[in-house]
Amino acid sequence: MLKLLHTADWHLARRFPSFPDEAQKKLSRARMDVVASILDVARRNAVHAILCAGDIFDDPQPAPEFWEELARTLREHAVGPVPIFFVPGNHDPLTLESVWAPAHPFRSRLPKWVHVVDRDDFSYELSKDAVLYARPCRSKAGETDLAMALPARAAGDERLRIGCVHGCTFDVEGYQTNFPISRDAGLERGFDYLAIGDTHSFRDVTAGSPVPTVYPGAPEPTSFDEAGAGNVALVALFRRGRRPRVDPEPVAFWRWLDLHCRDLNELRRVLTLTDLDRHVVRLHLDMVVSLSEETEVERIVRDLEGTHATHGRAGVLLVERTNLRLEIGSGDAFPEDLPPVLRDTVARLDQLVASAASEVEKSKATRALSHLFKLLQTQHASKGRAL
Amino acid sequence: MKLQRLRVTNFAAVRDADVTFGKGLNVLYGPNDLGKSTLVDAIRMVLLLPYTSTSIEQYIAWTGGHEPMVELTFETEQQRIWRVRKEFGRGGSAVLQESKNGQDFDDVERARKVDGRLREILRWGIPEPGGTGSGKGLPTSFLATALLSTQSEVAAILGESLQKDLTGSGREWIAAALQAVAQDPWFVSLLRDVQARRDEAYTDKGSKKAAKGSVFKVAADRVKDTREEKDRLQKVVDDSEGAEALLRELFQNRYEKREALARASDEVAILEKLATQAADRSAAAELVRCAEQEVERILSLAHEIKEGEAKAHVFLSQVKEAKAAVATAQQNQSKAQLALKAAEQAAREKADPNINETVVRQELELKIAAADRAAGIAQQSLDAAHNAQQLIHAAAEVGRKLGEQEEAAAIARKTSDEDAEQEEAANFELLRCDLLERALDVRLADSRVVDAQVAVQKKSTVQQRLDAVLIERASLIKKRSAMKLPASAAIAPMRRLAHEIAAARGTLSVGLAVSIEPVKPLDLRIQRDGTLLEPTVAQQPLEVEADTALEIGIADVATVRIRGGRRDARERVHVLEQQWAQDVAPHLAAAAVPDLDGLDSKITESVRLDAQVQEKDNESQAFEAQLAPLAEAARELQDAMQHAALCRTAIGDVPLEPLLAELELLGADPVYALRTRRGELSKSVVSARARATESARLYTLAEDRTTNLRGLWEAATSKRDEALATFPDGVDAALSASERNLSEASSERQNAGADLEALDQTISSQKRIIDEAAISARTQLEIANADVETARQNLTTAITSHAEHTGRLAELQKRRDAEDLSAAELRLQEAKSHHAALPIPERNATQDEVHMERNREKAARSEYEANESEIQRARGRLEQVGGAVARERLRDASEAFEQAERQEKEIEADYEAWKLLLEQLKAADSAQASNLGQALAPTVAGLFQSLTQQRYQSVQLGAQLSTEGVVVHGAPRPAALLSVGTREQLSTLYRLALAEYLQTAVVFDDQLVQSDGNRMDWLRGLLAEKARIFQIIVLTCRPSDYLGTATPLSGAPNTHTDQADGFIRAIDLGRVVQRH
Repeated sequence: MLKLLHTADWHLARRFPSFPDEAQKKLSRARMDVVASILDVARRNAVHAILCAGDIFDDPQPAPEFWEELARTLREHAVGPVPIFFVPGNHDPLTLESVWAPAHPFRSRLPKWVHVVDRDDFSYELSKDAVLYARPCRSKAGETDLAMALPARAAGDERLRIGCVHGCTFDVEGYQTNFPISRDAGLERGFDYLAIGDTHSFRDVTAGSPVPTVYPGAPEPTSFDEAGAGNVALVALFRRGRRPRVDPEPVAFWRWLDLHCRDLNELRRVLTLTDLDRHVVRLHLDMVVSLSEETEVERIVRDLEGTHATHGRAGVLLVERTNLRLEIGSGDAFPEDLPPVLRDTVARLDQLVASAASEVEKSKATRALSHLFKLLQTQHASKGRAL
Repeated sequence: MKLQRLRVTNFAAVRDADVTFGKGLNVLYGPNDLGKSTLVDAIRMVLLLPYTSTSIEQYIAWTGGHEPMVELTFETEQQRIWRVRKEFGRGGSAVLQESKNGQDFDDVERARKVDGRLREILRWGIPEPGGTGSGKGLPTSFLATALLSTQSEVAAILGESLQKDLTGSGREWIAAALQAVAQDPWFVSLLRDVQARRDEAYTDKGSKKAAKGSVFKVAADRVKDTREEKDRLQKVVDDSEGAEALLRELFQNRYEKREALARASDEVAILEKLATQAADRSAAAELVRCAEQEVERILSLAHEIKEGEAKAHVFLSQVKEAKAAVATAQQNQSKAQLALKAAEQAAREKADPNINETVVRQELELKIAAADRAAGIAQQSLDAAHNAQQLIHAAAEVGRKLGEQEEAAAIARKTSDEDAEQEEAANFELLRCDLLERALDVRLADSRVVDAQVAVQKKSTVQQRLDAVLIERASLIKKRSAMKLPASAAIAPMRRLAHEIAAARGTLSVGLAVSIEPVKPLDLRIQRDGTLLEPTVAQQPLEVEADTALEIGIADVATVRIRGGRRDARERVHVLEQQWAQDVAPHLAAAAVPDLDGLDSKITESVRLDAQVQEKDNESQAFEAQLAPLAEAARELQDAMQHAALCRTAIGDVPLEPLLAELELLGADPVYALRTRRGELSKSVVSARARATESARLYTLAEDRTTNLRGLWEAATSKRDEALATFPDGVDAALSASERNLSEASSERQNAGADLEALDQTISSQKRIIDEAAISARTQLEIANADVETARQNLTTAITSHAEHTGRLAELQKRRDAEDLSAAELRLQEAKSHHAALPIPERNATQDEVHMERNREKAARSEYEANESEIQRARGRLEQVGGAVARERLRDASEAFEQAERQEKEIEADYEAWKLLLEQLKAADSAQASNLGQALAPTVAGLFQSLTQQRYQSVQLGAQLSTEGVVVHGAPRPAALLSVGTREQLSTLYRLALAEYLQTAVVFDDQLVQSDGNRMDWLRGLLAEKARIFQIIVLTCRPSDYLGTATPLSGAPNTHTDQADGFIRAIDLGRVVQRH
């Protein structure tokens, strides 16, 4: 039996511009950290080879800190003599200037058991009974079906044949520029397993075929809409003609979670979720709250987000407040024993809310009341009193 | 504001004062009538009264003479020190200066602008001078009353309010101070926080901060960056999608192009096949044609050989004919050679001339030479004669010119002599004019001597009169000096004092009636209203009446004194009387008059004396003015006499009288007449001198020319005579003979020349005939030679043609022998068979058609290849930009941009709300503070309650700080109902509270004279406490009220004593104030 670890789409050096700076760093670092996890999985499962089917880097020319760190990780987390194969994908295609180019310093840092697919006729005998064929992407887009470009099984060749390429099995008709891969390619070219990469969710695109064509997905998700991301594929090939067994193996640190809260209770329940510290949470606040409730909302958000003094409950938090609205006016939020000048201020703002000619003006005055309310609470809290 | 220093000069009773204030409580003490209130008035005047105001009159120094001056230095804030100096009165001035260190002051304003600026600095609610509502006298306002109230109205503040202020500056200042102090600490902290949040985003003027690092800038930059990234990626995606769309189109085109190319290629193939068939048939036909030609060629060879043999016979006969022609030509050549030799012999024989011809020629040449010589000699004689004739004419011309020049020189000499005489006459006239001028000088000098003598006499007279006036003036001054009087302006305050005393005394004149009922006879000494009555012994009841005072001495038992009026009225009278004694009585004593009327009449007399002195001054000044120009009269006389002597010396021995008589003839203005005459004479002299000089120059020139001409004439005469000597028979005879000889010689030479020419023509004719014969013979020979050569060439040609034709004939015969006619005929047969076997094409495809179709195919291929090339390019573009990769990144960038936009809007809304909150907080705060009384009353009330030991619950102040009253037992009562002392105390507390809020100096002028010991102690403590917060200036005659046990002993060495770390300063006004 030949055991393989099939992974792809690490997207090292990917940026997350929608996130705050600190969160960006966390998410970027996680991409590098997961490499060690992958290698640990490989070690635990005693695989015979590790196939990386493209998009290892998010860019063909990543900053040195990324490829230096990857080289260091590969050296320090070596899985015995197990060979590792890197196939350049459409994000990090093999070009003269890319990180995969033979002359690039990254190549010289790689351990000898790491093989870069930098030839179109790449093949490697994994054993006397198994051979790997792979072909790199040489550009960011292309119409070539790289799987179909692999050599077909020769007559009398009874070895296990594994193909490894990067491309898309479901390009839209007429838009087949993202290295389209025919779903029958594995069968047509006489492979026993076709390892591919591009889609970030785990997917066996030829479930009914004797030749599995599998996307392992990104080992660390990159967005909220990648449901099956966070795995590698463990592949067991028994003999020719028998369908290999393919199992997803989770390796991701982060889970990406979209949460919609329509009232305060739902928001309160967020705090009861476990493992939030390993989640990237996008919190959609879709509710109307009073001034005092807003304070609680802010407190919960602060608990989730953390402060300079405390860690947040959530690993990374994005708050979507577009639909968070305040009840109009001060209501009975403010105490009656306020100093006259503050009472007068509240009354003036209430008056502005009542006489506002537009929603913008009304919202502004309400927000000013909110500021005042929160400021009073803060000052009271600093004096050890409740408002 | 803190006062630092006050300097006063000639201000009312104060001659000079210089007070340096301490930073806290300043107790300025001194006895009554020292001028304490005057100092307060000085402060008020220098701060509030324009220097030109007539209201200053009452402060004019009582001794007169100088205008009042006040200078006040004060500090409004750290390093902002002002110094205002005013000299009041008509000739006064004002200056406001500013300094940072209190040492170096710079002028800020001068004159009338000083008060406007001062009022701006003070913010006391007083308008700028000259503005609407500003009066002419001393301006006042609520704060002016509160901070500088007068001694006479210590409780005036209780009747004032901000309502009467003409400008709002005082109210604004108090409102700001009360607002700042009255704010709740919680509110202040909150306001500070809100302000800080607002200031994060907005400038002071309320516009958004756009500097680097500002919240809006950061958010906007984030939006900008993300937008740029999104746009960039959008462009990439657009490119990518464009490339993809193009690729789709190109792929579609590719099929069409490929089909078109295939069609074109098929068409080319068909046409090419047709063309090939046609070509094959054409080639076979060509082969048939070639075979036929070959057969024909072989048959034609035999025919050519036969014709060649016939031509060979012709060429042989032509050779024979040419040989015969050569022989004939050679014979003709020999004949021509013989003829040429004969002609050349004849020419050689005729080449040399014969002897006769030579002799004749030589004779003719000799004749010509002799004729030439004779003509030369005749020409020389002729030239000599012409020369002599010219010399004669030249000598005659020079002689004529010499005569003319001698006449001109004589005329020039005469003219020169005449001009010299005229110049001499003009010079004499000029000398005469000099003498007249000197005579005139003598006359003028004599006149000046007379004038100087008159001036000396006048000076003596005026000096005597001046001396007399000065003596009278000294007498008047002595009389005036004996009168010790105050200034006339001081009478008015004295009279006011007299009136005040009378009025005060009036309050004592209440009418007294004392009844005495003796039990036993009493010796009574009654003094009524200061008048001692006759001693009397009273046995019966007695009633004594008086206006103000009674003093009844009862034997040796007692003296009963009864005074009318209340104590304060008496004290008032006492004070006024003391002031009278101090300020007025000395003047009355000095003037030796009993009362003010006497003083007034004395002053009137003194004014009269002053006027007389002034009159004498005027007279003496007039005499001095007269004497001034006569001061040098004696010296002038001496100078005039010396000058007259010098003028006489200048005339010398010339009698003066005729000159003077002549001067008389010159009219009333001999100077002018002489000047005119001298001018005319000078012009005449200059003119005569110029003429004489010119005529002398012309005479000299004429003399020089005469001398030159004479030399020329003598030389011409000498040469003429020398030339005439060679012609003894005369020049004209010699001239005729020479012309004749020259004519003969010319004729002789002409004849000889003609003979010689005829001889040369004869010889030349004979030689030409012989030469022509030789040339003809030579030509004949050349023709014969050419004929020989031509015949030879013809022969060679004939031989060559015959040989060539023979060779060619042999060649043809050889070729004929090599050809195989049978084989050729066989090949012809085969070619015809092949041609017949080839297929005939369906139609004729021309090469043009094929070529055109090929071009069409080429175009189709080109289009196909272009399409392929486009596909490659589009593919390359797509590979570079990466369709899916770019779309993924664009999605991230779009999310980031939307996120940044949401954040920017959120930030903007957030800070707009902070701004609004701050505005509302301030508005509420301002509204709260607008009731000033409400803000100030608690402080005043607190102090008042503490002072009165809770006797009064509260003090009520109006919104404009009017004192509404005090609350006693829960009921409000007007302040006017309080006792005088309590009102003074309430007023003091009110003023202190205000000054504390405003952090400014407050001046108390005998403010607390009615307070009891306990309250005074409390107030002293309060003042000492407040002295650490702001400056308090107290003027008092009872320093112990304010200083307590710390009151300095009399006779202390310094003008002031500091205590409590300098926060309390006791200033002895007796040492710093100098009275008149």
